[in-house]
Amino acid sequence: MPGVFVLDRASILERLGGDEEIYKMMVDMFLQDVENNCLTLAAALSSGDAPTLQREIHTIKGLLATFSDEAGAEEAYQAEHKVRNGDLLGVDKAVQGMQVRLREVASVLRAGR
Amino acid sequence: MHTVLIIDDSDINLTLIKALVLKLGECQPILFDNPLKALEWCRENVPDLVIVDYMMPDMDGLKFISAFRALHGRDEVPILMVTANDQKDVRYDALLGGANDFLTKPIDRIEFGARARNMLSLRTGQKFLADRAQHLAAMVDERTQEIREREKELIFRISRAAEFRDPETGAHIQRMAYYSQAIAMGLGLDQAALRLILEAAPMHDVGKIGIPDYILLKPGKLTPEEFEVMKGHSSIGYELLKESRSEILKAGAQIAISHHEKYDGSGYPRGLKGNDIPLFGRIVAVADVFDALTSERPYKKAWPLEEARRYLEEGRGKHFDPLCVEALLAEWDLVLDVRQRFADEEMPLL
Repeated sequence: MPGVFVLDRASILERLGGDEEIYKMMVDMFLQDVENNCLTLAAALSSGDAPTLQREIHTIKGLLATFSDEAGAEEAYQAEHKVRNGDLLGVDKAVQGMQVRLREVASVLRAGR
Repeated sequence: MHTVLIIDDSDINLTLIKALVLKLGECQPILFDNPLKALEWCRENVPDLVIVDYMMPDMDGLKFISAFRALHGRDEVPILMVTANDQKDVRYDALLGGANDFLTKPIDRIEFGARARNMLSLRTGQKFLADRAQHLAAMVDERTQEIREREKELIFRISRAAEFRDPETGAHIQRMAYYSQAIAMGLGLDQAALRLILEAAPMHDVGKIGIPDYILLKPGKLTPEEFEVMKGHSSIGYELLKESRSEILKAGAQIAISHHEKYDGSGYPRGLKGNDIPLFGRIVAVADVFDALTSERPYKKAWPLEEARRYLEEGRGKHFDPLCVEALLAEWDLVLDVRQRFADEEMPLL
């Protein structure tokens, strides 16, 4: 499990060229979509279709990386790598972990608004 | 204003890239979360820059690039592919598959701005060169047309120079050229050949320029010796024109040397027979004789049309190629029209 998510606002803003407006827009969108993302991830897991699951995990990895959650993105990367190699053992736990992480990031972002 | 096509199945990425594109200035972003729909749009529109994500449902970024590049006129549009940091193999495939550059996720505004601006500069350069190439092509076409018109006029005037030393008229040149074209049309020749024979036929007698006046302008019948000299005009015309690089003058050379050949081999200068006589020569032979018969000359009245027609029919297979005679008769309405348009008193170009 990755450690506690700490919002590194400065690093995210640096990537966005210091643009607060874009930052706010992204946070709003993340918060708006987070539950939907958790559901899509769960649906992909239940479908048993590895390419779909890999794609959804890839999306989550990107989302977490966008908010500078390097530890969360690394966990997602490991899971994506395993699924791509056809190793689905323990992937349900990884998916659960990602859902938890997404909600944790959302709660931190909400608090930092 | 640049049109920037952005394709990503993630709304948050679409929104982020759109915001970054708008920050570039002078850009209109077009967003698609589905690559297949984006491809449909691309069939009717040409973007100035494509920014495409790699991992998407239905069609991944590599397949999109391949399909996009296969569309006509989309082979040079710059493409930026968005990939995750860990997808080095995908980046290589993207570059080999037609992407110009890539962006790594999470997207960094500085990197994005630099790469997107480079791609848009590339596009501006491409468009400038394309416009310039088009402009130059139009200029070349215009100049070529001018040269061609000058060449046509020069040919007509050279042909007239020869005819001036002869009782024949400028209208004769026009009529026999159009009769030649009518025969070529009746034979089913293509448009290029129709144009060529119209432009080259006027030179058929250009060699008369080298025939002494006492023979060329002699009012009475030529002696056999004088006639031998007169026959030399076809070879003189050929010698004058044969080495030209102009397609029209080369055709003129061929017509000059072959328009007095006869289908049965009794013509001059080489006594060629049947299809050994070049086609343009066979055509012009019919056109030239027909106009000579139906025109008034100082030494003869114009033959009635029907009589001239009979003469051609009787000469089929002897003097004339039967197919060329048939072709002229098949275009009889055109023949009558040409006769009316170029009556002897008219000299349209001089």
